[in-house]
Amino acid sequence: MNLDDLTQTSGEWLRGTGPESDIVMCSRVRLARNMADFPFTNRASRSEKSEIEAHFKSALGGVTMGLSYMEVSDLPSLDRQFLVERQVISRELAGGEGPRGVAISRQENVAIMVNEEDHLRIQYMMSGFRLHDVWEEINQIDDQLEETLAYAFNSQLGYLTACPTNVGTGIRVGVLLHLPGLVQTKQIDKVFRALQKINLAVRGLYGEGSQAYGDFYQISNQQTLGKSELELIRILSDVVPQVLQYERTARQALVTERRQHLHDQVSRAYGVLKTAQTISSEETMLLLSSVRMGINLGLIDDLSIATVNELFIQTQPAYLQKLRGNELGVEERNVARASYLRSRLTNGKPTTEE
Amino acid sequence: MTCQRCENEASVHLTERVDGRRQEFHLCSACARQAGLVLPDSPPNLALDSVVKGLILANVGELAGELAELSCPDCGTKFMEFRGSGRLGCPSDYEGFAQGLLPLLQRIHGATRHVGKVARKRPEAGKRLRLRTLLRDAIAREDYEEAARLRDRLRAGDSHA
Repeated sequence: MNLDDLTQTSGEWLRGTGPESDIVMCSRVRLARNMADFPFTNRASRSEKSEIEAHFKSALGGVTMGLSYMEVSDLPSLDRQFLVERQVISRELAGGEGPRGVAISRQENVAIMVNEEDHLRIQYMMSGFRLHDVWEEINQIDDQLEETLAYAFNSQLGYLTACPTNVGTGIRVGVLLHLPGLVQTKQIDKVFRALQKINLAVRGLYGEGSQAYGDFYQISNQQTLGKSELELIRILSDVVPQVLQYERTARQALVTERRQHLHDQVSRAYGVLKTAQTISSEETMLLLSSVRMGINLGLIDDLSIATVNELFIQTQPAYLQKLRGNELGVEERNVARASYLRSRLTNGKPTTEE
Repeated sequence: MTCQRCENEASVHLTERVDGRRQEFHLCSACARQAGLVLPDSPPNLALDSVVKGLILANVGELAGELAELSCPDCGTKFMEFRGSGRLGCPSDYEGFAQGLLPLLQRIHGATRHVGKVARKRPEAGKRLRLRTLLRDAIAREDYEEAARLRDRLRAGDSHA
């Protein structure tokens, strides 16, 4: 797979389709797996990491879904950042050392990182609220890999992982939610506290420690030991609809109490994005978030959710630089971002379908 | 009442059983958080790493004397290294460090027994891990003859796998 080709497409998970996709950007499951007869990545030598990579590549043949493997260690840093922005690899893998890589599907719904904190981090993403479907897909990939690989597992503690916070099922079940209503009505902290009380983690768009970009929040399980994969999926499936209900109520309150103000805010945001000559990443995220909510509330009718979803990713620094074909400084990026936004929002350019 | 770890006023009070004995803790909220106790007003996005390290210190602090000597026969990781980094060295550590890990797992997950998907049995894994450690040691001391022999044994295992 050629990385430059990826600038022409966008991940399936950005399509804005599937249940509850006005708020649930995507559902995601990841599994942490290690090979039984190797030390964990942090303890593995260079040659052991190469062996782990080789074992994984041979196991890939057994995976029926077509995946292509990229050696992340060989990629220039801009390309690595590009993959981080697309949610295909973690910042930890991008900044890691030694042989490491990622196998991804054409539609970018599957990404299997090799030699991250664990030997394998298998991730599956789908647009909308579809945790059960995601689990079925990823479970099958996991089974197919296990045909070839010997996983580190013990009967008491389950799948063994480098960090004890992941041991057991090794599963992280999560949804990426767009919650501008709760942010604007200042109720978001209350929701976070409630989620933390039931042991669910809340993170920003780019994972642990990342700020909540564009009012996007990931909610996922923390407990991995003592509850089965299906129980954890059930917990998320029970809790997420309540958060969606709060968000809808908050949006409704904004519409009833401050309709004019809201309409003005949304229209201005759209106007700035369509006409700005230079714009920062932060401002873009903020305005895109307003526009996204505006579309869902029927205040904007000439723009698709898929386009806005894509723009959250395609206005990030590495994407813009890949598109231009060279490295750009902050000021140049701000100009390039504004120009890209104008071209996407005013020319009626159709969204990429891949 | 003042905090047991610093001069501030204690605001967290709890009683726990440690090795069958009742122990009382009186801590200020900062020290309690440092010790990994989850307080109701703890902020979102608390870095997981620091939480884990706090939990490790809170749960294995007292056992450190005994556990300080412990190292994994399969990968050579010392328990004290895990205590510092929060990362284990190899799958065998879970058995070798069980005494220190189980209370920690109980605290993190509220459980010490896996429920859910089961992997296939691979009984040879521990032995192969040990061979790899020996191989690494042999290379380090430039004993290439021994290294070659160990590599052959590992390769032979690969073909059986």
